[in-house]
Amino acid sequence: MAPRMTASTAKILPLVAPIRRIRSSGSSAGGDQSERPFISSAMLAIMMLIASEMMLFSGLIGSFLIFRLQAAFWPPPALPRLPIAVTWVNTFVLLSSALTMTLALRAAHRSRQRLLRRYLLATLALGVTFLAVQGSEWVRLVAHGLKLSSGVYGGTFYLLIGCHGAHVTAGVIWLACVAMAAMGGRYNARNAGGIEVCAVYWYFVCAVWPLLFGLVYLM
Amino acid sequence: MLEHMYFPHDISTFGPQIDRLFLLIFWLVLVVWTAVMITMVVFMIRYRARPGRKAEYIEGNSRLEIIWTTATAAILIVLAFMSRSTWADIKEHGPPGDVFYAVTGKQFNWEFTYPGPDGKLGTKDDIIVENELHVPVNKVVRIDLTSKDVIHSFYLPNMRLRQDAVPGRIIHVWFEATETGQYEIPCSQLCGFGHSGMKGNLTVQSQEDFDKWLKDLYANPPAPPSATEGASPK
Amino acid sequence: MSSTAAVAAHGAHAEPHALGFWRTYIFSEDHKMIGKQFLFMALFMMSIGGLMAMLMRWELAWPETQVPGFGWVPEPFMYEGAIPPNTYNAMFTMHATIMIFFVVMPILVGCFGNFLIPLMIGARDMAFPKLNMLSFWTGAVAGVILLSSFFVTGGPAAAGWTSYAPLSAVPIYTGVDWGQNLWCISIIVLGASSLMGSINYITTIINMRTKGMYFFRLPLTIWSLFITAILLLLALPVLTTAIALLLFDRLGGTHFFLPAGGGEPLLWQHLFWFFGHPEVYIMILPAMGIASEVIATFSRKPIFGYRAMAYAMIAIAGLSWIVWGHHMFVSGMDPVLGSGFMITTMIIGVPSAIKTFNWLGTLYKGNIHYTAAMMNALAFVAMFVIGGMSGIWMACTPVDMYIHDTYFIVAHIHYVLFGGSLFGVFAGITYWYPKMFGRMMNETLGKIHFWITFVSFNCTFFPMHILGMAGHMRRIYNPQQYDFLKPIIPINEFISISAFVLGAAQFLLLANIIWSYFKGAKATENPWYANTLEWTTPSPPPHGNWPGPVPIVYRGPYEYSSPGVAEDYLPQSQLLEHSTGAANKRTH
Repeated sequence: MAPRMTASTAKILPLVAPIRRIRSSGSSAGGDQSERPFISSAMLAIMMLIASEMMLFSGLIGSFLIFRLQAAFWPPPALPRLPIAVTWVNTFVLLSSALTMTLALRAAHRSRQRLLRRYLLATLALGVTFLAVQGSEWVRLVAHGLKLSSGVYGGTFYLLIGCHGAHVTAGVIWLACVAMAAMGGRYNARNAGGIEVCAVYWYFVCAVWPLLFGLVYLM
Repeated sequence: MLEHMYFPHDISTFGPQIDRLFLLIFWLVLVVWTAVMITMVVFMIRYRARPGRKAEYIEGNSRLEIIWTTATAAILIVLAFMSRSTWADIKEHGPPGDVFYAVTGKQFNWEFTYPGPDGKLGTKDDIIVENELHVPVNKVVRIDLTSKDVIHSFYLPNMRLRQDAVPGRIIHVWFEATETGQYEIPCSQLCGFGHSGMKGNLTVQSQEDFDKWLKDLYANPPAPPSATEGASPK
Repeated sequence: MSSTAAVAAHGAHAEPHALGFWRTYIFSEDHKMIGKQFLFMALFMMSIGGLMAMLMRWELAWPETQVPGFGWVPEPFMYEGAIPPNTYNAMFTMHATIMIFFVVMPILVGCFGNFLIPLMIGARDMAFPKLNMLSFWTGAVAGVILLSSFFVTGGPAAAGWTSYAPLSAVPIYTGVDWGQNLWCISIIVLGASSLMGSINYITTIINMRTKGMYFFRLPLTIWSLFITAILLLLALPVLTTAIALLLFDRLGGTHFFLPAGGGEPLLWQHLFWFFGHPEVYIMILPAMGIASEVIATFSRKPIFGYRAMAYAMIAIAGLSWIVWGHHMFVSGMDPVLGSGFMITTMIIGVPSAIKTFNWLGTLYKGNIHYTAAMMNALAFVAMFVIGGMSGIWMACTPVDMYIHDTYFIVAHIHYVLFGGSLFGVFAGITYWYPKMFGRMMNETLGKIHFWITFVSFNCTFFPMHILGMAGHMRRIYNPQQYDFLKPIIPINEFISISAFVLGAAQFLLLANIIWSYFKGAKATENPWYANTLEWTTPSPPPHGNWPGPVPIVYRGPYEYSSPGVAEDYLPQSQLLEHSTGAANKRTH
């Protein structure tokens, strides 16, 4: 059984809440008291979710590469270029959010409540900024005539970047929940599982981005 | 042998190679299967439960595991390399062509494009005939295969030849018929509600008959098929 | 009978469970109930998928005639009982989709995975019970979405379960509009369900094993489910990608698979089969695990080469990622690449052969009890041998050029999926039924069901090899339209009659499940005298699985006829007093 994760993750992630101890009345001789697992169930679950997401992105990136490498002209002549300068800045925004997340995690491990809240909110703000910039750039691109139906160029752009955007959105919502819990002082050095799990997911979202940026915008 | 196993009569040059491979695998499988089944049935009868008997405690045998792993792997890899040479003969270095056609699949017909009197494909005088493919016997026929809408599969059961026709790409296939006669060209990849029944006719003729047929074709070319007939994406 | 568990359940006071009807039977978080829910959903879907198969067999034997008793079906689905081509296409599409995604996967992975994993590893429940409940209900929603496509204009998807683009990508190509969209949505939703399930399985197996249950003491069923869960976790997202692209092509105006807009039709096939081949093993590995369990138990012998069996499954899982191209030998793929895929495909035959030889080795010098479960498990082995070996013809590229997309392929997949997976399922249901429902299944009825199924199965699917050799294309609705297929009309009729017998025989299984539920003999804790942990608790197990503490494991799962004890079995959880003998130390 996963011993300690229970309280922290139950509220944030109600669906992956580890099993309650169904019965504690039996004699102590049984296998209930098996050793504490090497890695908590919630962490294991999130890592597997990420493995699965990686396959999803591999499928998308593989498809993109097939189109990209077959195309004679990329981007096709009539279609608008992607906004590279703004996206460089935005990349920086997202990557710095990984840094603030790390600092938040460190604060949690040291039970520094005010620091923890500050860094979580900073991470949240950076994530929202990233999404806002992406959104406004999309609006501009659509206005310039790059549509989902603009050949495979438009299709892959919106699908790949959109898929990442959806993941960032999910991450931001999760972060907001964690931040709210942190406001209530839920996390401390002995109870940081909820933040750890969220942080791993956020790192994943941040780590995928440079790859997509390089392939879709720069290549 | 294979004719007795319902195989269609083979009339292509590479067909016998394919049939030989089929038979080789057939014998191999038959021998292995018989051995496995006999062993299994013997064990099942011999070691059936009887009162007062206890099974022998055997956990395994590493030497046996190694033997049957290597033996199976060796047989299968040898088989792969034997198949590889036939595959290369057919797919990678086929003979130069004598006759050249283009074949286009569409829902739910085959379009056969014959070179016009200038003898070249891709010129204005090409003639398109639906569902009728005439080829001279003992000549290498080379085909540029493609499709207008969905994926079809160009299948000549009597030639042991099958190749998908994929929209947007041209795939080269070849065959050489060794006997004259009338055969069918079904589509063997699901292509819509008319998939069943989508078939053309293959007529293998002697060179003289073929020349005569071609002359007739040049004299009375059929009307080109209307462009709207096949369904096309938006 | 000696005490089966070291943990004698003395002093166990059953805690009353006043969860109420809804929490107990419908929105249950108990892994055992969720397993049963998957079982009943799959049996329901199986009856629909089976009906499709029967209608298809009628059409193939007596094409374009009226199916008796189906005059009531409204147009355009049928015309006074006669099946039009589009309906036929929809039928094989739905037959395969239902049988693969809503019968074999839910039973093998959903039912046995849920029911057995906590019981066999010694856990009170899954790691995430709520996620588990959500997984089932997501799967049920996917099923409802798929079935609802029967009622939309244009009918259900008709592009084959493989849904090759561009056929599936543009509505006018098939004449099916929302049917195909619902198919796509259903599979994506089912993917989410499987994702939740597999995360749960893997976490549970890694983190919740009881004391002493090391990886190499896990029953092979658990090994197989563990590997299957990993395959599911990694393969399904690729299918989701492919289907998402397809949905965008259909609804969003993109051209991913349409050459007119720069798309690539073969991309669908690569993505689909990259998922599709691991999927094949997802559907056979758990059946292999179940067969190993049943064969060892009823041979009263340790499984031959336990570690070799586990490694072989790992090898199959690994190799299954690099063989997908063998579905595409005639697709226009580079022939050199084709040769590469031929070699990897031949190699993946090796671990399967290892497993077969090990099952034979298990029988050797055993003391074989022919229960209905054992008969089904032995049939699994025999049928899997045929299904596996017919794969060699397909792996051989030049031969595949001739038999690709013929009934030879249909015969092969049914030998693997029906002869393999479904006989495994029958074995599993018969074997664990007492644990699931607390009553024994009727043995006589079980054996009658087995023999009729076994004979009619072979009469149905073996002649399909011959159809394939005659060149009979799959997915054609009227074989009599072709002159070269005229000689095999009688074979088609024979197959159809056998298929009707096969279909009817499944009512015996259903009858047995229902009859035994009410009238079967009460099952004891360990009716088969088996070693694994699920047999150390009452049948059916209470909420929390063991009334007392969870048992501790001292040895591997297959210590049958061990020389250390008088009985011919030695439960994993039994502590031997004088542990000087080998029996306590043996860890496999």
